[in-house]
Amino acid sequence: MNLFADAATVAEPEGAWGAVAAGAEYFIGIFQQGGEVLWSLMGGILPTLIVLLTAVNALVRIIGPEKIENLGRKAAQPGLIWYPVRYIVLPFLAVFFLTNPMAYTMGRFLPERYKPAFYDSAVSFVHPITGLFPHANPGELFVYLGIAAGITQLGFGLGDIAVRFLLVGLVVIFIRGVVTELITTRMMARKEKAAA
Amino acid sequence: MNNLLVTIGRGVGGVVGTLYQAGRDTVDTVIKNIIPFMAFISFIIGLVLVTGIGDLIANGIKGLAGSLVGLLIVSIVCAIPLLSPLLGPGAVIAQVVGTLLGVEIGRGTIPPQYALPALFAINPQVGCDFIPVGLALGEAEPETVEIGVPAVLFSRLITGPTAVVIAYFASFGMYS
Repeated sequence: MNLFADAATVAEPEGAWGAVAAGAEYFIGIFQQGGEVLWSLMGGILPTLIVLLTAVNALVRIIGPEKIENLGRKAAQPGLIWYPVRYIVLPFLAVFFLTNPMAYTMGRFLPERYKPAFYDSAVSFVHPITGLFPHANPGELFVYLGIAAGITQLGFGLGDIAVRFLLVGLVVIFIRGVVTELITTRMMARKEKAAA
Repeated sequence: MNNLLVTIGRGVGGVVGTLYQAGRDTVDTVIKNIIPFMAFISFIIGLVLVTGIGDLIANGIKGLAGSLVGLLIVSIVCAIPLLSPLLGPGAVIAQVVGTLLGVEIGRGTIPPQYALPALFAINPQVGCDFIPVGLALGEAEPETVEIGVPAVLFSRLITGPTAVVIAYFASFGMYS
């Protein structure tokens, strides 16, 4: 027997006042839903993220980001074999160790004609890397996390898309580097010709 | 013996100090960069889920985000040299669109294997607002910046759609 089953029936507000009340509930409902999402984000991703960021930040500090400067000098050389170094390895390491936006300072070791291409390559990698290494660009995580949230909601794991995002990202930054270098060289040549 | 102790002590102290500093940096970014964005994103998701905006968006992007041609169109629009620097700052637009797409993937409007090409389709403008600053960080000459800005912008018109096609083929066998 439930004593309270029918005890507390309050009539729904009706008429104009009812509409206002319903509107208020609808209004607050938006923020309740938003609050639930925020709570699930802070409870779900955030603790893992904090621990991961701490570990990787410590690792970067222990290794020392200045170690990759030598690679920057090497990548400045002309020749076909240095293309993958300049537009895959160097951007990856720069973004991993120096993070966005300091990664672009690695461009200072390259000759002028490679600088725009290296920037293009490095900046295009600051999102693909966030799937596995969010420390590299913590301010812009939701390009990946936003889409990943939908995948999680469907009940799938994120490993697959995170790795594919990273690998496709590496291919894409290589293409961007090569194409931009080509365009830059042609524009520079044209400008020199116009000046001469 | 004494020397050994000092060395060990220093080493341990260094590692602990580094870890502690790393934790401090992390909490700093979490509070300054991550949580504010989470709040903003949560509001947008709440708005989309509760109001009818979600269905409107769903109808709008179903054709665009659910097919290769649609994604190519999105990537070309985002890569237009006049538009891309406007869409770039802070990746805010890419993040909002990414979140909206995530909501639609979660609701089943967009098949999950389109997540990968979509990640590239909404992002050919990445860093287009930042080219002069990025080049300055690389200590580029003013002449290089003058050429570099249009070079990157035009390059994106080619590489933006290319990235979508690569990602499309790379997404075969994912979540299906």
